[in-house]
Amino acid sequence: MRRFIALMTVVIPFIVDAQLKVWVSYNDEEFAVFKQLVTAFEESTGIEVNVQRIPFEGQEQKILTACATRTAPDLARVDCAFLGKLAHRHALLDIDIGELADKIVPVALQSCILNGKLYGVPDQLTCVCLFYNKRLFREAGLDPNKPPATWAEFLKYAQKLTDRSKGIYGFAMRNTLWWTLPFFYSFGANFIEDNTCVLNSPEAVAALQFKVDLYRKYKVEPGAWKSGAIDPDMGFQNEKYAMVLNGPWKIKLLKTIGIDFGVAPIPAGKKGGYTTIGGTNFVIFRGTKHKHEAVEFIKFIVSKESQIKWANELGQIPVNMEAFPYVDTIRHPYLKVFLYQLQYAIARPVLADYPAIEDVANPIMEAALMGEKPVKEALELIVYKINAILQEE
Amino acid sequence: MVNKVKAFIIYFWLTVFLIVVLFPFIWMIITSLKPIGTGLTLTIIPRPPTLSNYKSVLTQYKFGRYFVNSLIVASIGALGATVLCTMAAFAFAKLEFPLKRPLFGMFLSVLMVPGLMFVVPQFAIVYRLGWINTYKAMIIPHLANVFGMFLLVQYMKTIPDELVDAARVDGANNWTIFLKLIVPLSGAMIATVFLLTFQFHWNNFLWQLIVATDEHMYTVPVGLAMFRSAHEELHTLKMAASAISILPITMIFIFAQRYFIEGILRGAIKG
Repeated sequence: MRRFIALMTVVIPFIVDAQLKVWVSYNDEEFAVFKQLVTAFEESTGIEVNVQRIPFEGQEQKILTACATRTAPDLARVDCAFLGKLAHRHALLDIDIGELADKIVPVALQSCILNGKLYGVPDQLTCVCLFYNKRLFREAGLDPNKPPATWAEFLKYAQKLTDRSKGIYGFAMRNTLWWTLPFFYSFGANFIEDNTCVLNSPEAVAALQFKVDLYRKYKVEPGAWKSGAIDPDMGFQNEKYAMVLNGPWKIKLLKTIGIDFGVAPIPAGKKGGYTTIGGTNFVIFRGTKHKHEAVEFIKFIVSKESQIKWANELGQIPVNMEAFPYVDTIRHPYLKVFLYQLQYAIARPVLADYPAIEDVANPIMEAALMGEKPVKEALELIVYKINAILQEE
Repeated sequence: MVNKVKAFIIYFWLTVFLIVVLFPFIWMIITSLKPIGTGLTLTIIPRPPTLSNYKSVLTQYKFGRYFVNSLIVASIGALGATVLCTMAAFAFAKLEFPLKRPLFGMFLSVLMVPGLMFVVPQFAIVYRLGWINTYKAMIIPHLANVFGMFLLVQYMKTIPDELVDAARVDGANNWTIFLKLIVPLSGAMIATVFLLTFQFHWNNFLWQLIVATDEHMYTVPVGLAMFRSAHEELHTLKMAASAISILPITMIFIFAQRYFIEGILRGAIKG
């Protein structure tokens, strides 16, 4: 009996202690699937997981406060852009997932690497493609199964689709840097090289000039990027905008409300049709006492089996490439396009303060779109300001 | 005739402004009646109108629970803060004690510090006290309301000292003066402070978010934020939840409005 008690005093704290605390910000459907994965993980490893849902919008303040007061959980799911901030401030542990790293979609994994160390593992991956309204295509006399393959073709289509008397526009865009990156990339421009912003290259000028021309010269874009305007999401849903850039997260809603739409890869520019990626990652906080269990948990979430389930139940892009052949493209036909597009995607640089870069770039790009600043001058200014931020780090 | 035209013009413009002011609320109600997923459609009349958003907000999501949490935090928080403010204001306005002026100045200087600065240190204290995930953590740190106190001090200073002196001559002690004289005379202002604090707690997002680590302790603003994920926003559900969440504030306003008008009228008669 005494030995039993002695044993229990050793074992009980261990059991109680081996509880992983995880903060996630999934939406309802994602959370339901995530819960199933967690249960499977608990059953197979005996490690207890305490999952807490936090709002996506407030995650930054909540996590930063928790880090400052050493009350952070073991793991959390954070946005790409936020990972950089946490990693630069040394809040995270570097993670070694072994050979599994070779199976993760490279652009997604690279978006978590800082100074050669892996600070997060992607759990969700998105990229941007071209969404187009098939009904409006037919009305304009275009083949709804032949989306534009190049930006030149895209412009021709947009001109045909635009009918200003009905308030219908061929294209609608956003002005933020992240949404402009597909233009830059496909025109052959680079964003950041060796910690220096190089968005003033001739390719970048051509890309932004193209955006400006869509609005100012060809008038196939209504100015959906202005504040207070009908934004691309809203206009596409109301069948006012024939083409928009969007991501896989929008598919379900568009299907629900019965829009007849198609998804196509980003039209090709000089370089090809390149896209930008987004998504979220699991990170391990430095204060954790269960590093081993936390790594096991991450490995389980990104394993082939979990990712097949994740992709097929939610219609999302799996992060593990071994799951690609098992994606049910009959149930999720659009996923095929996104999987194709991923081959032509460019990783995000891990920056200490990506939102700050957006904050300086967006107003200047807006000035270019409004015709208040020549494109070249605008990009020079953006590069100058972004480099000042990068140098600070 | 001229008067009628004048009245018509005035009423016409008032109606226009009323529509402008009310439009966001009307749009909120309209959106909350639209079928799920069609929150961004530009139709005025929902096709077909549905109450399912309200139903799922209350059943599928734990919005009822968030609502009760908010109600508890906001009413206790506002009540506590108002009581403390009123007593402190009385002391600063009508009593003499050492270091009164420098103390008051110190309190006021706190108003100059942005509230966000307090978040991390306050959180550290609350955490050490073991209050994380409790109502205490949401209420107690906000009981000291300098702005409310300042408002009441300024108002109580306008109550003539002669009234207080007369009461003292009649043998009233500080408590009696406070309860029988000052509180009834500052009723309108006290109601205002209560209303402002209630509203502050009701809308407070950041603090409630970081001290609540369990979904059961989330309050309405935190719950509303849950309808937004990385790329999408459940507009119809969010608007239904918002429509429910403005009820208490609206009710308190309707109730407190009487006090406001009363307060203004009393001042007017006294001249």
